[in-house]
Amino acid sequence: MANLVIEQVKKRYGQTEVLKGINISINAGEFLILVGPSGCGKSTLMNAIAGLDEVSEGRILIDNKDVTFADPKDRDIAMVFQSYALYPNMTVEENISFGLEMRKVPKEEREIEVKRVSEMLQIDHLLNRKPAHLSGGQRQRVAMGRALARRPQLYLFDEPLSNLDAKLRVEMRTEIKKLHQKLGTTIVYVTHDQIEAMTLADRIAVMKDGEVQQLGSPQEIYDNPANLFVAGFMGSPAMNFIPANVVATDNGIMLELQTSSKARLPFPKTHSLESYVGKEILLGLRPEMITEPQHHKEGLEFVTKSEVNVEVTEPMGADTMVVTRIGNSEINCRCHPAYPAVPGSDIELMFDTSKAVAFDKDTGARIDL
Amino acid sequence: MTSANTMNSSSSRRQKTLLEKVLRVALYICLLGMAAVYLMPFIVMFLTSIKDVEEIRSGTLLSLPGSLNFDAWSKAWGSACTGSNCNGIAPFFINSFQIVIPAVLISTILGALNGYVISMWKFKGSDIFFGALLIGCFIPFQVILLPMARTLGWLGIANTTSGLVFVHVVYGVAFTTLFFRNFYQGIPADLIKAARLDGAGFFTIFQRIILPISTPIIVVTIIWQFTQIWNDFLFGVAFSGFDTQPVTVALNNLVNTSFGGKEYNVDMAAAILAALPTILVYVLAGKYFVRGLTAGAVKG
Repeated sequence: MANLVIEQVKKRYGQTEVLKGINISINAGEFLILVGPSGCGKSTLMNAIAGLDEVSEGRILIDNKDVTFADPKDRDIAMVFQSYALYPNMTVEENISFGLEMRKVPKEEREIEVKRVSEMLQIDHLLNRKPAHLSGGQRQRVAMGRALARRPQLYLFDEPLSNLDAKLRVEMRTEIKKLHQKLGTTIVYVTHDQIEAMTLADRIAVMKDGEVQQLGSPQEIYDNPANLFVAGFMGSPAMNFIPANVVATDNGIMLELQTSSKARLPFPKTHSLESYVGKEILLGLRPEMITEPQHHKEGLEFVTKSEVNVEVTEPMGADTMVVTRIGNSEINCRCHPAYPAVPGSDIELMFDTSKAVAFDKDTGARIDL
Repeated sequence: MTSANTMNSSSSRRQKTLLEKVLRVALYICLLGMAAVYLMPFIVMFLTSIKDVEEIRSGTLLSLPGSLNFDAWSKAWGSACTGSNCNGIAPFFINSFQIVIPAVLISTILGALNGYVISMWKFKGSDIFFGALLIGCFIPFQVILLPMARTLGWLGIANTTSGLVFVHVVYGVAFTTLFFRNFYQGIPADLIKAARLDGAGFFTIFQRIILPISTPIIVVTIIWQFTQIWNDFLFGVAFSGFDTQPVTVALNNLVNTSFGGKEYNVDMAAAILAALPTILVYVLAGKYFVRGLTAGAVKG
């Protein structure tokens, strides 16, 4: 196992800068997820770590060794590709042992290793098949087997689950997590799926436009997003951004919603809002913090009840998402399925602002950090 | 009412099938006609080759021979005169094979390597390089005759088999590169990345991963090159020496050499013999040819 340090890495293609000075460092055994929308540079960064793409500036260290200019094969890295990239002319067994053969591991050892890996991934009955005769999930396993067989210092996963159907994806996700817990390997994993990021990562790097927006544990990123982009990207349904006016009242600074009742919500870190009094901000509130009135929360410090108009309801089984509108923003609220919310009617909802965050309306930056 | 409807519809269905049958027959007649147009020259050649000279002179082109007579074939093969030399076209067959086999192999291997580099190991200017190479597909043969003659002389391989192999390799590489490059373009780049991370180098990847999945395009290239080089006349006549002439040139000489009457039967037999190898290659590997031309990306 090895740690990974990425220092001020920049990548330019002609005039366009794809990576604009990336700084990430993870400890040995950590599971790092690079997440972001298409074109954010996460795959480019992955290729740079693998050595498949040269960086224009900066350094990459694996196990404290500078590998910035090392050949891919000398970095002791294995990669699982989105397309699996299995060698079509080789059997599963040959696919798994190819890397070992290239590293001149004797035949007997290769056979032992293939056996170990294929049993671990439950593909030992497929060893003599060609990739063309495997299902998507089986190919995925073989691709992982090929990476595992070499026991490299660092594993790279490039959107490994995005070609699988929804059910298989969830299964494999769990399996990758189990594998990581069992082997304790250092993993860098690229995805655009924020649920994968939340469930798998020890640390998440949220990227956009070639920059790391935030690097932190999943919970940190979920609870304390650094800016509007991170807040909107992580979480499903996304965090609500409610336009609110900062008003000074007898009870201190409050946030006034743009509803007919002009409901006023308390905010935990009011001192950060002092310079915004009289201005409009965006209040970030996760859907699960807007619910039907709950008895056990009644009277708590940061809980407010207010009437809203129901636009749509989306029953999800465990909860029902109630969609309403405050100002010009659509708001998702997570309610109990038994709570009677009829589209078009007014219902009372409970706003819990104890974990609310505030963003500058114009710059999208966090105000209350 | 209902029964009348059913009857109506069923009878109209019967009419339709009748119409379909008629159309089908018309289609087959059409196809047979087309096939006849294409086959006619060959039929005439074959019929002529098994007649004797008397029959040819007295009968029409399509009249059937009185008896099967393959004397003309054995004469064409072993004792017909090409110029002053009367050993048939057999020696020139060997010449042709000596040119074709190395030329096909070398141009195919070079094309595969070029295609591999141009599509998977792109370097600065590789697209321009490929574009420049493609021009080679469009240069007419006759344009390079003189410069090539000078080059061959300068290399000291004028009038030799090696010289002809060289010319055909140079001329063929443009096409073979195009074939392989287009085929490799459909192979996912991840495959190469995976192999590089596995520790394989340039030639190992080529040999262990790329070549084994190239069978369809290798077959296409070999058939194409074999046919082109075997059938070549211009380079053969321009650059061969007396004892390195390919069979196409010998055929020309054979037809143009006559002592007394013209032996059309021998000419025709020799022409068919000279065409046999390409026909044979196509018959043996033709299905791969069609499959290879339409083959898309390799499924991982």
